Amino acid sequence: MVVVTRRLFQTPWEFRESALFTAVALFFGFAVQYAASGQGVTLPHLPFNAVALALFAAVVLGIGLACRNNQQVKWLGGIPLGLCLIFAIALLSLIGGIVPQTEAAPGSLTVRLGLNRIFSSWPFALAILLFLGNLGLSLSWRLVPFKLKNLQFILFHAGFWIALSCAIFGSPDLQRFVLPIEKGKASNLGYTMESETPQQLPFSVFLHDFSLEEYPPQLLLFDGQSGKIFEELSKATILVRKGITASWSGLDVQVLDFIPYGLPGKEGIPYPADRTAGIPFAKIRIISANKAPREEWITTGSPMIDTRDAQAGSLSLGIRPGTPKAFRSTVTVHDENGHQSKATLEVNHPVDFQGWKFYQMGYDQKAGRWSQVSVIEVIRDPWLPAVYLGFFMIMAGNLLFFWNGIKRTEGAS
Amino acid sequence: MTVNFHTAAIVAIACWALGSLLSVLARRTPALKLPALVLSFGGSLVMVGFIAFYWSLLDRPPLRTLGETRLWYAALIPLVGFLVEYRWKITWLKYYCMALAAFFLGINLLHPEVFDKTLMPALQSPWFIPHVIVYLVGYVLLAASSVTALHNVSLQLRHKGDDTGESVSHYLALLGFVFLSFGLIFGALWAKEAWGHYWTWDPKETWAFLSWLAYLGYLHAWRYKIDRTKLQWYLALSFVVLLVCWFGVNYLPSAQNSVHTYSQS
Repeated sequence: MVVVTRRLFQTPWEFRESALFTAVALFFGFAVQYAASGQGVTLPHLPFNAVALALFAAVVLGIGLACRNNQQVKWLGGIPLGLCLIFAIALLSLIGGIVPQTEAAPGSLTVRLGLNRIFSSWPFALAILLFLGNLGLSLSWRLVPFKLKNLQFILFHAGFWIALSCAIFGSPDLQRFVLPIEKGKASNLGYTMESETPQQLPFSVFLHDFSLEEYPPQLLLFDGQSGKIFEELSKATILVRKGITASWSGLDVQVLDFIPYGLPGKEGIPYPADRTAGIPFAKIRIISANKAPREEWITTGSPMIDTRDAQAGSLSLGIRPGTPKAFRSTVTVHDENGHQSKATLEVNHPVDFQGWKFYQMGYDQKAGRWSQVSVIEVIRDPWLPAVYLGFFMIMAGNLLFFWNGIKRTEGAS
Repeated sequence: MTVNFHTAAIVAIACWALGSLLSVLARRTPALKLPALVLSFGGSLVMVGFIAFYWSLLDRPPLRTLGETRLWYAALIPLVGFLVEYRWKITWLKYYCMALAAFFLGINLLHPEVFDKTLMPALQSPWFIPHVIVYLVGYVLLAASSVTALHNVSLQLRHKGDDTGESVSHYLALLGFVFLSFGLIFGALWAKEAWGHYWTWDPKETWAFLSWLAYLGYLHAWRYKIDRTKLQWYLALSFVVLLVCWFGVNYLPSAQNSVHTYSQS
């Protein structure tokens, strides 16, 4: 067999040219980043970003269709360059997956090269742009002339192109604000992560009510001095209810009675109360070696009522409020044009209003169930439908890929 | 609680061990084929039964902690081995798969986790189960693909490589990639509902994207007819990226604020 070695830049170009090209692009990107003292890429807002994206798409498609037989264009839209760019994006993502993407010492090399802001850095932007070019060219050749057998290719690649390009070009138009609102009051001031001065929003939110449901309180054995918590023998988190037992070495505890909502009564014996005022009380029996069993009422306490723990030798036994199970806010939103809407916001259940999405974000964690403040997040992302279109095209392409893959394995065996 | 897991895990491991032994013996004594199959399957069935029982005991899907996801891997990985045997008549993969499953249960036996019924509000979503299960199936397929690729590499080193082995590792990777893509997109759709944006370069997301890119690269290299024997190395090593994504992320400096660090409190 005669092996013909191809010289660098002798057509047809392949992997060596692609690797060199990608390496130069990355180097150039980092050089720009360094020259800009670590200042990342800033993209324009609507409508300019949409125009830029449309122009870019038109240029890529135009070049792809007009010069489909040109060797260099073929190479630009080919798999070798695509693979090298995938590798470059993976490499940059790897940096982003290892270096914490947070503030770093000003003037440090990390900052100047944008390593702590890798996903808005010049090398990343350049790699994505070249990748979109490569992907767009290969797509143009499968789009025209259209053949049904290319459908899976088109759905997956066009979906990826749309999702990726719209997510990146549309990122300047993403608006996120955090609104802390007091119960019984309205607010139209939104805070961003970047600034401490709030911005006036085109709507105001009135908080009718905030409520928090908790899991049952947890029974804990701990060292009152150091705060160290001891693990229960069966390695379970002990959620308090009537009748349960828990064991630590040399110590057994039974919960004889449990009042989820109670208030302290005479002689330390609590009585049931309503949900808003009551707090959890548990009557426990402590059985430890060489000592007579004793019974005691303990409570989680609240901002108004003191916590009461039981002593077990040098250690303490207590119950602590359960972790949040659900929390929700009832709000009324109205805007300057007279649109009004009353809604309940809950984690995982955002509500739409005039192009904005409203999220239950948080509350005053110190006050817990008695929080008088609800923290709402409002988000507007006009590019979301385009990104989702890309997602659904990728999934449709994937279903076909799966189907064809299975069919082909049948043929293969 | 832990007592139940001990019993279930040991019965499952015993089933797989006996099943493997009978399966080896069945080469000479075909009558043992059926009991071998029943026992091997039995191991996975025991785990499926335990997961169902554990689910009802927890009042939430046992998919929150790493230890809980290992239960699912242990139940599912042998099934991929059986599927490959049934589909391609390749018998050796199931031994690796059962050994891997036993290894996962072993980790859980050595490091029992805290039994905790609570599920934070963000995880209470219709996306929770599809997102995690699709990923689990993807990881299981890619683990099997990686094992097959390693086996192919060792065969090549002994000059015994064949096309069937390469096509098995390829199709497992292809199916695994499809599941990874669905997992990634389901995660994005869920993130939009729970955390406000579909993509925030959370460390786990970054590593999931990296793993996806690794297999995207593989599929294109395969398509470009790059020497397939060399690609077996690539496939075998790609799984390392997945492993980092699966539990290595928790140990990285970048992961301090990740929404994906599964606390075991």
